[in-house]
Amino acid sequence: MTIFIIQLLNSFFYAAVLFLIAAGLSLIYGVMRIVNLAHGSLYALGAYVSAWVVGGTVGHAASGTLGLAGLLLLLPVGAVAVAVVGAVIEPTLLRPLYRRPEEYHLLITFGLLMILEDAMKFLFGGTPLTAGSIMDHMGSIPIGRLLYPTYNLFVIAIGLIAALGLWWIIYRTKFGVILRATSQDRRMAAALGLNVSRVYVQAFAIGCFMAGLGGAVVVPAQAAVLGMGIEALILAFVVVVIGGLGSLEGALVGALIVGLVRTAGIQFFPEIELAVLYLIAMAVLLIRPTGLFGRA
Amino acid sequence: MLEVNAIDTYRGPAHILSGVSLRVDKKEVVCLVGRNGAGKTTTIESIMGFLPVRAGQILFHDEDVTGLPPHERAKRGIGYSPEDCGVFPDLSVSENLMISRWLGDEVAKRRNGGQRVDPDAQAFSLFPEVQSLLQRQGLHLSGGQRKMVAIARAMMLSPSLLLLDEAFEGLAPVVVNRFAEAVTKIKAMGVSILMAESHLGAATRIGDRLYAIDRGEIIFHGSPREALADEKVMKALRG
Repeated sequence: MTIFIIQLLNSFFYAAVLFLIAAGLSLIYGVMRIVNLAHGSLYALGAYVSAWVVGGTVGHAASGTLGLAGLLLLLPVGAVAVAVVGAVIEPTLLRPLYRRPEEYHLLITFGLLMILEDAMKFLFGGTPLTAGSIMDHMGSIPIGRLLYPTYNLFVIAIGLIAALGLWWIIYRTKFGVILRATSQDRRMAAALGLNVSRVYVQAFAIGCFMAGLGGAVVVPAQAAVLGMGIEALILAFVVVVIGGLGSLEGALVGALIVGLVRTAGIQFFPEIELAVLYLIAMAVLLIRPTGLFGRA
Repeated sequence: MLEVNAIDTYRGPAHILSGVSLRVDKKEVVCLVGRNGAGKTTTIESIMGFLPVRAGQILFHDEDVTGLPPHERAKRGIGYSPEDCGVFPDLSVSENLMISRWLGDEVAKRRNGGQRVDPDAQAFSLFPEVQSLLQRQGLHLSGGQRKMVAIARAMMLSPSLLLLDEAFEGLAPVVVNRFAEAVTKIKAMGVSILMAESHLGAATRIGDRLYAIDRGEIIFHGSPREALADEKVMKALRG
């Protein structure tokens, strides 16, 4: 029973991180109809920046005065940095291509993926970076006869808060109405006086923030390493294929399905764990091509 | 109020409008009539800023708006109801109306410290039934209801000029009368209207002046009575 609860929590932890990445990917697609292949690299950038800032602070003599709260407050710096990068990328690289066919979007975001991967290699080197001190500070809580890292529960809570926060922003605020209107008919939104270009920058920056936050929350538990972005991108795609690209509910349910299947896979069928995920994605594509919550 | 001076507009490589000129004065209903594909929608979309104008000029309240994006034109008081109504399908009617009310408030604040005619009263006086649809999603509206919401939404902006693209298309004759009454009411509110219309009958009933367009060129300008008597106009409209 204890093992089952721990595995369930592990899958929720995993789902929380995947939700942050996939929700950003879905938000960007939902509003701008761009499949952002660089999304995984933006997640990795968030991880690197947060690990670098937290690691650098811990290494500094003054870190003792910061404590756990201070380190936790430093963690979202990576997400903010990625949002700023997003706010620069959208008007400079993506905006000129909106009128072009989708393959141009794929090409430019794939190019961006390569550039970001190299930029991270150049800036942070090949050595993995970690913010593990946060995990050490938070300790563990007993579950049955075993101990479970408190930090993992913190990440699950962040995932839940992010899901509720995003839902509230999209369905309950003025900005959400503007975002939904722009995503449904950008021409009409403009005719009603909405500055669509500004909405696009904001939506892209929020999507990037989500990816960066995913990276930021993961580095206390796992080190930031080169290539982590590609792996995350593939899994985020599995999530949005299952849930439906452009749907917030889809990102949440898709992340939970992938989290649960992956945890079960590691436990019971580690050799074909990823294959099972792809099979589920393929089945969804065949039966319901728009995903569980997506619209045609 | 609105002056379109010899504009040339392309859709991709296709040259659609050549040297189109028209004028809309204060408190005036002007109809742009023509067959399908004659260039009516292209003219309306050029005025709204969706299509770039390659030559010519568009003046609104004596300001050159030719290079301005659509949202800046809306902020200057141009309301727009497109042929397909443009009602956001996943937004409720209330949310659809909310967007233009925000902009209307913003514009009014900038112009005269926030004072303006109650936009809700103005919009709902045209189509009172829109009030009973407020919670319904745009997706679940009938064709006539969508047209009502689109016009009510454009009026929420408190515009000084309303662009209506095929406002009567697809409506039952009884409903057409309701829309014609609404146009008269809008005019009485001091708002000018430029309507693109395929049916000469409706246009001559409510228009103060008429422009006829054929193959991207204005072929006639005058009163509805003159249009009905003009063989060239009748021929162009009949095809």
